[in-house]
Amino acid sequence: MRKTVQRYYPLFPVFAAYFILFLVGKNVSGMWQLVSTLLFYCALGQAFNIFLGMTGYVDFGYVAFMGVGTYGMAIAITRLAHVEALGVLIVAIGFAMALVMAALLSVAVGAVALRLRGAYFAIATIGVNEGFRFLIEGAKIWNGSDGMIFTAQLNQILGRETASALSTFWADVIVLIIAVLAAFVTLFYMKSKIGYALTALREDEDAAVVMGINVTKYKIIAFITSASFAGLVGATSWALKTPYVFPPEVFEIHYTIEAIIIVLLGGAGTLLGPVAGALIYGISKYYLSIFLPGFQLLIFAPIIIIIIILFPEGVIGMLKKSFRDSTLMRFII
Amino acid sequence: MVLLRLENVTKRFGGLVAVNRVSLKINSGEFVGIVGPNGSGKTTLFNLISGVYFPDKGDVFFEGKNITRLPPYKRAPLGLGRTFQIPRPFGSATVRENVAVGAMFGSLGGKINVDESLELADQIIERIGLGEHRKKRASTLTAVEKKMMEIARALAMKPKLLLMDEAMAGMHPKDIDQTVSLIKQIAVEENIAIVAMVEHIMRAVLGMAEKVIVLHQGSKLVDAPTKEALEDSRVVEVYLGRPLEE
Ligand SMILES: Nc1ncnc2c1ncn2[C@@H]1O[C@H](COP(=O)(O)OP(=O)(O)OP(=O)(O)O)[C@@H](O)[C@H]1O
Ligand SMILES: [Mg+2]
Repeated sequence: MRKTVQRYYPLFPVFAAYFILFLVGKNVSGMWQLVSTLLFYCALGQAFNIFLGMTGYVDFGYVAFMGVGTYGMAIAITRLAHVEALGVLIVAIGFAMALVMAALLSVAVGAVALRLRGAYFAIATIGVNEGFRFLIEGAKIWNGSDGMIFTAQLNQILGRETASALSTFWADVIVLIIAVLAAFVTLFYMKSKIGYALTALREDEDAAVVMGINVTKYKIIAFITSASFAGLVGATSWALKTPYVFPPEVFEIHYTIEAIIIVLLGGAGTLLGPVAGALIYGISKYYLSIFLPGFQLLIFAPIIIIIIILFPEGVIGMLKKSFRDSTLMRFII
Repeated sequence: MVLLRLENVTKRFGGLVAVNRVSLKINSGEFVGIVGPNGSGKTTLFNLISGVYFPDKGDVFFEGKNITRLPPYKRAPLGLGRTFQIPRPFGSATVRENVAVGAMFGSLGGKINVDESLELADQIIERIGLGEHRKKRASTLTAVEKKMMEIARALAMKPKLLLMDEAMAGMHPKDIDQTVSLIKQIAVEENIAIVAMVEHIMRAVLGMAEKVIVLHQGSKLVDAPTKEALEDSRVVEVYLGRPLEE
């Protein structure tokens, strides 16, 4: 029993960080917008870490899962808005669709690309995102490049006031909940055979296979899990918060790069890493854009590169290494 | 009982025949030494048995079952464990976690949970003499410690057949003697057949093997009880280059 509880100690610092973020946003005036961005980065980092961090495979098409999730919610709202009996349930159906669509896309991509090793996988995934965008635009799927705007339907389903509260506050709370769930799942994986298999294949895939690990199976588990969370984040941050979707906005590789930076900065494969990465990245980006508007990328890019070179295992990875034997480390993995 | 059987197994790399029509039998619980000069095909033979490569010709049987085209991750659960010539630890994981991976995915596979695997890992680590390194990252071990960890990891798989590719190279002769007798003891207790690649270290062969298989340019030259094999004039010529001094 005690052991089971101890197993979940590492969630404390993660949840503490989320809690403090929430309190600051709620109580310090003018902070909610920053907190909202940070929560988005936390959820994104935590979700991507399950794949990137735990397997060591880089997916340059990751944002496609968020995009598809956004469409899942958009489709549910636009197609079901007229069914009055459903009410708020439509949003729940939207989440289910986002989850299923992102998961299906990940199965399709993973079944092909995850048979490729490391760098080849990364190259193969570069095309996924762009390909999907051109498919939607070219074949005029889901309104093609006209996109979908569903402000009216959302207002109709929830009422104007609730819809507005959703986009300014509740959507961010849902993102927070997604981040919490992703942390739970990450820790659960870490402590189970899945985590051991993923560590083994990340370190040496050939040795892992000979040790009896079906590496493709475990990579796909991590991929689907990570993609599903991305779908939920998209459905929330990009559909509920801003009730419209256009292909070039959601299939934008820029977000994949941000997610990679967040995971690497904080510490790939650690539980607390994505949170640390999200906070460092989000806060510095925010203040740089205020104090040095226009120059942020010029200053930001080299700083990030230097940090990643100095701490190849990320901030949390370095902490773990330096304070290995202290009791505090029971809380940080 | 015949545990492993190879029938006319051939493996080519381009024009090079790395393993040439090799047939052999390993009985359960048997200790077999494989020797042969550099490039004679020993590691390739191990790779064919563990499934890293599939043969171009011939068949591999394990406990009578044809496993020629079975992927490696399906062979481990049958009871096939191995170590690598160049150690391949899971570097960022601790020694304990490395060994636990062996327990989790080896022949105990479905029957053992994470906690039990870690407990088993602790026992094996203690027995193999790595107790004090238990919580270290595998990447921080010395070369010899890594080799020992690989043996522990393979033993945790509870194999019926353990393939050791130069598991003791670089060790002090005294440590080799100790390690050999320890492994032999464990192997007898658990009825593990061992095929050990023991180039350059004749004392390890003599200390451990009941049978010696000599490879030369990919072909099996000799397959005989240890003493007999080492006295075989072809072996003396090809492998030792000189008669055994004794
Ligand atoms: N993956 C590969 N691709 C091409 N050639 C290979 C490959 N693996 C082995 N070889 C070649 O096959 C032959 C046998 O190699 P192998 O590694 O099996 O020999 P070995 O007996 O283990 O040698 P050593 O004592 O050096 O470990 C060598 O000529 C080697 O160069
Ligand atoms: Mg070799």
